[in-house]
Amino acid sequence: MCGPENTLRAGLKSRASCARVALMLVGAFAVAHTPQLLIRPETEDRELVLRVHAAMRRVKTRLVDMKPDAVAMVAGDHVEAFFLDAVPALAVYVGRECAGTFGPYRYRLAIHEPLARSIVEQGIERGFDLLYTQDAPLDYAFYVPLHFVMPEPAVPIVPLHVNVYLPPQPTPARCYAWGAALGEILRARPERVALIASGGMSHFPGTDRYASPEFDYDRGLLEALGAGRGREMARLTGEELDKRGNIELRTWITLLGAVGDAPADVYCYEPSWHHGNAVVEWPVR
Amino acid sequence: MAGALRDRVSETTHYHFPPSAAYRLNRCLYALKSDRDFAERFVADARAATEAMGLSDGERADLLRLDRDALVGRGAHPYLVFMAGLRLKMLREPSAMEYF
Repeated sequence: MCGPENTLRAGLKSRASCARVALMLVGAFAVAHTPQLLIRPETEDRELVLRVHAAMRRVKTRLVDMKPDAVAMVAGDHVEAFFLDAVPALAVYVGRECAGTFGPYRYRLAIHEPLARSIVEQGIERGFDLLYTQDAPLDYAFYVPLHFVMPEPAVPIVPLHVNVYLPPQPTPARCYAWGAALGEILRARPERVALIASGGMSHFPGTDRYASPEFDYDRGLLEALGAGRGREMARLTGEELDKRGNIELRTWITLLGAVGDAPADVYCYEPSWHHGNAVVEWPVR
Repeated sequence: MAGALRDRVSETTHYHFPPSAAYRLNRCLYALKSDRDFAERFVADARAATEAMGLSDGERADLLRLDRDALVGRGAHPYLVFMAGLRLKMLREPSAMEYF
């Protein structure tokens, strides 16, 4: 496990010797990112936190086996890179590297620049008006899952932002459509790419609902996803996500656009006193 | 149709469109959350740190108490209120946390 001073660094060494196959999306996961998983105050149940860590270690093991050349991560910036000065619906980090801080943690990660640039260019060609950045800070929503699941040595990433916190957010249908386009783009690339959605499930930070998330709603979502009904998530409304504490489900819905109706394998669902923590894998084809 | 759509989109329960009247307040909460130097100055002397942030007296009083409901009532983004509070706790009581 990495400590606060650790820096995840990755080169852009290609795996040119690997056999090229037609479909290069090699894995798909959703991983909770609540900061209490990284920095645990006394308010949090330590055993629960460790159980979520164990599920995240399973993801890491899977990633090691998949030998991805890059990890594309869909996360919602928590008003860190994008304050009210400029609020993009969808954004892609396209540079050599990206960096951020969270408390004592200082992280710097290599970006797979050719892949990131391809996502921006082809995404725009497909009608998605993406913002791109070569310098924005990287939010902990990206870092927390990577802290726990990134193989060693680390592989480069492509951070993909979906606005979840600053209304009006993109609709679930739009997220799903963007994910479908993203899946097509990734499958046509030569790199082996693992796709991770960061965040979820029900939580209400900063509101009077903080201590009463919608755990039954989460369980219903997971049951539908386990039954291969991911496409249904595209029909949810923004109002419902807001009401149910699931505004971050937009990152999952983006991933679902890429994986379609593949049945989810739920590694864990751990409801804390304020947060439904889930770790999930989808088979890709 | 456009009016109906606008009304529909604004019908959120918890996280609302951030009113521009609360921009300075949200800017200050954002600084507490994301600007460590500012947060450290706030911990050292909250009144002095917020002197030049352009807040009204009422906003400033609620911020100094980190009164969640009052701040949200003024248009502060609930997440910013939450994370500003957590970051201040991380600064004030670093040894009370377990780091992974």
